[in-house]
Amino acid sequence: MATTLRAVLNAFEQADRPLSIAQLAADLDITPVMLEGMINYWVRKGRLRESGGTAECGTCSQGDHCPLVIKMPRRFEVVSEGAPPVEPPPCSACTCH
Amino acid sequence: MTVLMTTQKIRIALAGNPNAGKSTVFNALTGAHQHTGNWPGKTVALQTGSLSLNGHHIELIDLPGTYSLSAFSAEEIVTRDFILDECPDVIVAVADASNLERNLYLVLQLLEMGSPVILALNMWDIAESRGITVDQQRLSALLGGVPVIRMIGNRQVGLSDLKRAVEDVLHGGTGAVRSLGLPLDDMLAKEHAALVELVQNEPALYAMFDAPWMALKLLELDEDILSRVEPYPHITAAVEAACERISQQTGEDPDTLIADRRYQIIGEIAEQVITRGKQDAGTRSDRIDAVLAHPVWGVPIFLLLMWFVFQLTANASAPLVDWIDAVIGGPIVNWTHAAFKALGLEGTWLASAVIDGAIAGVGGVLVFIPVLLSLFMAISILEDSGYMARAAFVMDRFMQKLGLHGKSFLPLLVGFGCTVPAVYATRTLEHEDDRKITAFLTTFMSCGARLPIYVIFGTAFFGSASGTLVFAMYLAGIAVAVLTSLLLTRVVYRNKPVPPFVMELPPYRMPNRHTIAVEMWTQTRDFLRRAATLILVASLVIWLLLALPVRGKGEFANVTPEDSLFGSVSAAMAPVLAPAGFGTWQAAGALITGLSAKEVVISTMSQLYLDTSEDEAATSTSFADDVKGIVSGLGEALVLTGQEFVNIVPRTVNLLPGVNVPELNILGADADEAEEDTSQLNSALRSAFTPLAAVAFNVFVLLYVPCVAAVSAMRHEYGTRWMLTQAAYTLAVAWLAAVIVYQVGRLLGA
Repeated sequence: MATTLRAVLNAFEQADRPLSIAQLAADLDITPVMLEGMINYWVRKGRLRESGGTAECGTCSQGDHCPLVIKMPRRFEVVSEGAPPVEPPPCSACTCH
Repeated sequence: MTVLMTTQKIRIALAGNPNAGKSTVFNALTGAHQHTGNWPGKTVALQTGSLSLNGHHIELIDLPGTYSLSAFSAEEIVTRDFILDECPDVIVAVADASNLERNLYLVLQLLEMGSPVILALNMWDIAESRGITVDQQRLSALLGGVPVIRMIGNRQVGLSDLKRAVEDVLHGGTGAVRSLGLPLDDMLAKEHAALVELVQNEPALYAMFDAPWMALKLLELDEDILSRVEPYPHITAAVEAACERISQQTGEDPDTLIADRRYQIIGEIAEQVITRGKQDAGTRSDRIDAVLAHPVWGVPIFLLLMWFVFQLTANASAPLVDWIDAVIGGPIVNWTHAAFKALGLEGTWLASAVIDGAIAGVGGVLVFIPVLLSLFMAISILEDSGYMARAAFVMDRFMQKLGLHGKSFLPLLVGFGCTVPAVYATRTLEHEDDRKITAFLTTFMSCGARLPIYVIFGTAFFGSASGTLVFAMYLAGIAVAVLTSLLLTRVVYRNKPVPPFVMELPPYRMPNRHTIAVEMWTQTRDFLRRAATLILVASLVIWLLLALPVRGKGEFANVTPEDSLFGSVSAAMAPVLAPAGFGTWQAAGALITGLSAKEVVISTMSQLYLDTSEDEAATSTSFADDVKGIVSGLGEALVLTGQEFVNIVPRTVNLLPGVNVPELNILGADADEAEEDTSQLNSALRSAFTPLAAVAFNVFVLLYVPCVAAVSAMRHEYGTRWMLTQAAYTLAVAWLAAVIVYQVGRLLGA
């Protein structure tokens, strides 16, 4: 029984190029808003990883306001088995503590 | 019997997704009557408030924002436990009307629990502005008669409707008791029914929760509910067996099947109740993306935009760079001379340290403020408009061929302006290996400070073809970066293939002027704070080395450069550079000072090659003349900046073969003056270098160790070891490349 949720995960695993949420939603014939919810489901299940959206900068509380970081939108990618959790970079050089 | 008749204390809970405007609705309902506190036994703080409804005192609880009730996070557990244990009389589900499908997942779960729900479609105005409309009546009917209210929480629109709906539910009206069971497919339905029966056979369990909901949670292997049925081993065994059968037959976890079923229902509901107009921002952005993020057209469009960025940073800012240079080298130096003279310290080592060390060094950095401002402005515009995400998206494929991450291209791009922010920009990469490799490569992206060196050598040796040398240097830098990347990713790190990603591309929008201004200022200020400190120290060290006599008859701060410690060290290093064709102590010395900042290479060469013995104070003007000169110079620089900005268009159009649109030339005479200014140095360079040695020197400048500020940034980010590795590698590559250029050139008779 092929579910739409499984189709979303398969699309991630079989992709050979970067995709936008809008493109993937069109490929799966669902709305981007619905796709975001489904991606969120797999993120919670630990099968996808979310990154970006804000500056991941150690213990620095500046986040998006850090003058040294270019802000990027959220990205999602497949979590490979046994992959260690992503550690944020150190922030020792930052003057915005 | 209604709630109002049976309950002394009425409680209403607000639930909803994060950013659905739940707290706005809460504030609108409660006004100042609210406080924050931990619910007994919970660590997540809950906001509570009160309101009066037709004489009834009602307590309102703002539950944490959650996307579901699946007990993954602390917020979800708190929300679910509150609903299960405290049994609020009404749950107001606040949903973002512009993202209804996503919000409906939680609403469905609330209805599955059998809670009395009112659906508040908040942010109705945003949905309308995006051309999204929702059929309230139809939505209500599809959700089993749940009251659906339109709201704009921050404008208090829909509050009275919401209060009326609450009152209606409390009086046992339409939305009073709702339990919308999740319609399941055959196999799931069969297993679910069996578990419902088992739960219903246990009065203690049946009294605790709604049996169909509990059975659903058991199939989802909800840890909390499983722990509550632990005293009933036959139920636990039945759950395990049911899940096993489902997984075997469908190849899917039951919880995934159940979640998928919810999404199916949401899809069916959305199709019937949501209408999207043509002005939907997403649709508009999609149309633009069809061109800008196109797999083929996206790359040339990106390159064209980058051309604009380089034109802006290199050319449009040049007149202001010259103006600051003239102000620092003229009036400021003159005033400092005058100040020392007035204090009777003229000609002392202190005056020399301040003028030749501090002012010359820090001034070299201040000169580049316009370059940084224009670079940060360009990046902020691209970022704020939403294009930067597309650029990373488009360039991902090329980066992957190099074994790099798609996001690596951004720091590399920034490296064409300045290596320091480029190194810091690597923070946007998730994996440390990617960050280190990208930072390693940024130094080969020829920074703006190297550009004047290419220009001066280009005009001295190649005249009108000087642009070819400049272009060749940039290409050579990219080529070395590509080779280094292949070396690092295929040999040193042996990176696993970078997985493709799915990116959220934000809607395009007009860049916000305030945001751009703030970003430009904060980034430039931070760079100056950091770099000026380092440059100041480095400049004073170089001054000290030039002031210390080690041979001849000179004394401290009054010694010819070749007899100074600096001259001696440079002379000692010169033979190493001889195979590259520029083995003089002056060339070696200029390269050493270039370690403090690349622009210092030119100023050092001016000091070493030109006769600067004339008395600077003798050429000084009055204070009033200086101020007048500064103001008129600024006016001229601003006019030229405007001119250069306009000229980006003809320069771009002229890239097309056969097209030659004339450029604007308002103050043409000044260009000739500028040429005259450099002619003395040009002659000196022509007598000190052969054309081949000049090219080899430029190759060395392009590739060797970046400036102190960039090296320091590298150490801050990746440690001393990685910094030293990069310094050694760049030195070796620079020497090797320069020697190859010179020796191969000689063999070819150049």
